[in-house]
Amino acid sequence: MSSSSPSGSGGELTERRGIPAAKFIQDVETYLSQSGLDPNSALAFHQERLQQYKVVEMKLLAQQRDLQAKIPDIEKCLEVVATLEARKGTGEALLADFEVSEGIYSRACIEDTDSVCLWLGANVMLEYSCDEATALLKNNLENAKASLEVLVADLQFLRDQVTVTQVTIARVYNWDVHQRRVKQVTPTAIAAADS
Amino acid sequence: MQQQGSKSGSEMEVTWEDQQNINTFSRLNNRFHDLDDEIKSAKEKCDNLEDAGNELILADEEMVRFQIGEVFAHLPRDEVETRIEEMKEATCKSLEKLEEEKVSVVSQMSALKKVLYAKFKDSINLEED
Repeated sequence: MSSSSPSGSGGELTERRGIPAAKFIQDVETYLSQSGLDPNSALAFHQERLQQYKVVEMKLLAQQRDLQAKIPDIEKCLEVVATLEARKGTGEALLADFEVSEGIYSRACIEDTDSVCLWLGANVMLEYSCDEATALLKNNLENAKASLEVLVADLQFLRDQVTVTQVTIARVYNWDVHQRRVKQVTPTAIAAADS
Repeated sequence: MQQQGSKSGSEMEVTWEDQQNINTFSRLNNRFHDLDDEIKSAKEKCDNLEDAGNELILADEEMVRFQIGEVFAHLPRDEVETRIEEMKEATCKSLEKLEEEKVSVVSQMSALKKVLYAKFKDSINLEED
């Protein structure tokens, strides 16, 4: 992903994984004259940017929730496989109560076994040896945790851009209010000086 | 006499450093709320494990049903006791770490608040609404 525009004054990224960075404005007056925008158009532009950021934030938060639910699931699977592996040598069967349907449980007798079946999704279940299953699950767990880290960093970057945009909107608005106030005062001052 | 455009309270210069301080404060605030939630759930888990441990002592069955994943495995009482102890220790340790992080975040936030309020006085609001 290449960044086309020159980076902001802080030497920061101009975009991150498709999220455009909000350019920090050193001086409101210079920014407005350079961009040729009047205050209202500038405000509208930044408000729209803010909305776009919010949409992306919702998407990322949903992805984060999914990952945060997935990780404990994988950890539970690892625990079960580990328990079965621990029992391997002993030759005893493991008795387990499992849910057949909501509120209905049944007893299962799990014999000493070398293999487990893993649900891979998309109606596919594969049989693995305990070692392979552990390796696969650990790999999935690492990937999920890494994805979550990247996602959290994305969210932080996004929130920074939202903050910068909100501050910009406030500054442009305040500058505009200030300008109007000055314009109001100046004519009356000139009139008083002339009279 | 013509009134010069004086710098009133609403015309405040915001430097890149100020913006970065505001961004950092926002990040810390978000982390603070996340930490609060995490601490709450860790405390709950700790309490549950504590209760489970106590129930176990009171119960006199030899085989206890211990939840592993989605199933309840029949395990001997000693094994269950050991597992609960391990889980309790792990949860308490992570709770401690979370509390420590929270203290650090709170202190960083108050330091930033001082800096930002000094510069912006009334023009900025850093309180929870």
